[in-house]
Amino acid sequence: MKKGVILAAAGLLALGLADAGPARAAEITIGAQVPTSGSEAPYGIDMLNAIRMAAGEINAKGGVLGEKIDILPGDSACDPQAAVNAASKLVSQGVTGVVGGYCSGATLPTLKVYGDAHVPFVITASNSTELIGANPGNAFMINSTGFDQVKTAVNLFKARGIKTLAIINEGDAYSANLAELTRTAWEKLGNKVVDYEVVSKGQQDFSPVVTRIRQRNPDAVFWTAYYADGALLIKQLRQGGYAGMIALGDGNNSPKLFQLAGAAAEGVFCFSNPTANFLPEAKTFIENYQKQFHQPPGPYSALSYDGMMLMAHAITVAGSTDRMKIIAALKQTDNFPGISGPISFTPQNTLARSNFVVLLAKGGQWTLYTGPGAPGAK
Amino acid sequence: MSEAAVRLGRPGWSIRRALGVVVLLAALAAVPGFANNYYLEVLSEAWFYVLLCLGLNIVVGFAGLLDLGYAAFFAVGAYTAGIVTLRLGLSFWLSLPISVVAASIAGVIIGGPTLRLRSDYLAIVTLGFGEMVRISVRNLAVTGGASGLVGIERPTLFGYHLDSIGAYYYVFLLLAVLGVVASHRLENSRIGRAWKYVRSDEDAARAMGINHAMVKLAAYILGAIFAAIGGCFYAAKMTAISPETFTFNQSLLILLGVVLGGRGKIPGVILGALVIVIFPELFRDVGSMRMLVFAISLLLIMLFRPAGIWPEKWR
Repeated sequence: MKKGVILAAAGLLALGLADAGPARAAEITIGAQVPTSGSEAPYGIDMLNAIRMAAGEINAKGGVLGEKIDILPGDSACDPQAAVNAASKLVSQGVTGVVGGYCSGATLPTLKVYGDAHVPFVITASNSTELIGANPGNAFMINSTGFDQVKTAVNLFKARGIKTLAIINEGDAYSANLAELTRTAWEKLGNKVVDYEVVSKGQQDFSPVVTRIRQRNPDAVFWTAYYADGALLIKQLRQGGYAGMIALGDGNNSPKLFQLAGAAAEGVFCFSNPTANFLPEAKTFIENYQKQFHQPPGPYSALSYDGMMLMAHAITVAGSTDRMKIIAALKQTDNFPGISGPISFTPQNTLARSNFVVLLAKGGQWTLYTGPGAPGAK
Repeated sequence: MSEAAVRLGRPGWSIRRALGVVVLLAALAAVPGFANNYYLEVLSEAWFYVLLCLGLNIVVGFAGLLDLGYAAFFAVGAYTAGIVTLRLGLSFWLSLPISVVAASIAGVIIGGPTLRLRSDYLAIVTLGFGEMVRISVRNLAVTGGASGLVGIERPTLFGYHLDSIGAYYYVFLLLAVLGVVASHRLENSRIGRAWKYVRSDEDAARAMGINHAMVKLAAYILGAIFAAIGGCFYAAKMTAISPETFTFNQSLLILLGVVLGGRGKIPGVILGALVIVIFPELFRDVGSMRMLVFAISLLLIMLFRPAGIWPEKWR
């Protein structure tokens, strides 16, 4: 009967799992869906820190509706199945709302989980255009989508007299999507994409690409993937004698690019979501963040901070923790003053303005580009 | 098994044992009545991995062929469902027979050229096969490239729309039970004994007249079908699939479930699958350290139970 005993024990273990779902009361709980394990964990922890910091500041001022805010982290691990588990757990724990969302692929399937439970979800980083169609109406994207980045890029290219373009991506969801959207938009204007390359992640030697680019000699090269490989590409392009414009997608706004690319990075353009150091409103945010976590804020910290503040604001406006009322309040957000700029939403619940900025590499660091073709410049 | 136990039709099945199984199944079927969505989500994932691990167990456990690319078959199933419903606009249910055919072809593709390979060499080829499938789906237009397929319709069964986690709990529980029954029947069949013979000594098996090529191919094909059917329902449940789900890590995780539980032993494999799904969730409250805690607990299990939690008795 030993087998039977073990089977029964396994069954009990499975059942025992089922009665532990604690619903915390008396506090307003907000879920933070960010990757805290896996390769994207550094970004996720930056976001979680900022969300906790915002909640701390709100609580120090007496909380929301007289209640303290409690943050419940849900580790999405940048993996769809893990994210769905995390989301279901947050819903089961009775969160009033959720803030976060980093990897678009992992955020996508959670939209339905939150949608079914009518949980308001402020998405602070994920910005794939596929999220827009899949949104059941309860999710709000406060980071600009790929469409806005393409617009920013095309404007800059036009203003700088670019006619022919080479686009290089790594074939992953994010960089391929950005490359494809840019190609479509660029060709629609009657301009030419003379070279469209897909390289593999972690590739060290770009000489075939450099040779082709030298032959076809485009006015600008647009790299849509991430900085680690981008830095090598920049170096090899310049060494190969390419003198045209180099522009980089928003996965390249890391200062580490300069350590890898060195002097070759000088004069390179980069499109970026608003990182804290280029936001005039974020000075105290940076100081407080540094003080609390002993490191500078990450690229999505400012947006995550705004996301939490916006959620608290919406709960206050709704006047209750009724999720439907909070969703309605979020929907009506009108120029909410975030540190990354004012927040309003389009009918599709995406950010009503483009928050992309153009950075220019100058003297070994990123500076805000304000010349012709910069967002907001005439 | 007590002497007094009344024998049923099949040897080894006492009334008490049959009763135990019925009670266990009834308890599992009752879970959605009181468990919240989180537990249903985790348990559905657990049943899903039970199915995958049982499928891989046919290849690794019964036939003794090390396979490091099993996620490829899972991908074949998931993408078949995605392509059939999204690109061809056919019913989801049609994707089941189609994916079985596709998985069989994939099983022959990996099984055929590797018939004469053993151990490490076989592992390397299967690893390469897994990566080839993943990179192919990442670069083909029909599989949606790197973004994968989004917006897969959830199926309807007898007028009931499979749209809630409760429904998928039953779907995956049913699949897992079918997987157990099929594995059990296969293990005690002529081909099951042939697998174990080939595993123990391939040359002796051939000398005794076992067609080792057919036997090995059958193991690959049957294992692939388990994963493909699971993959179809995975696609329906998640409604979105992308190449990132089918990495080498996925293959490794499924293999881990099989080895951890005890290869070749059906209850052991079920336990192993439950461990790889439920442990990381149990440690969710540990926060960023949870995968470390998971890894340490796996190490401890392997240190104290080197043949798996519930190993097969070799006869």
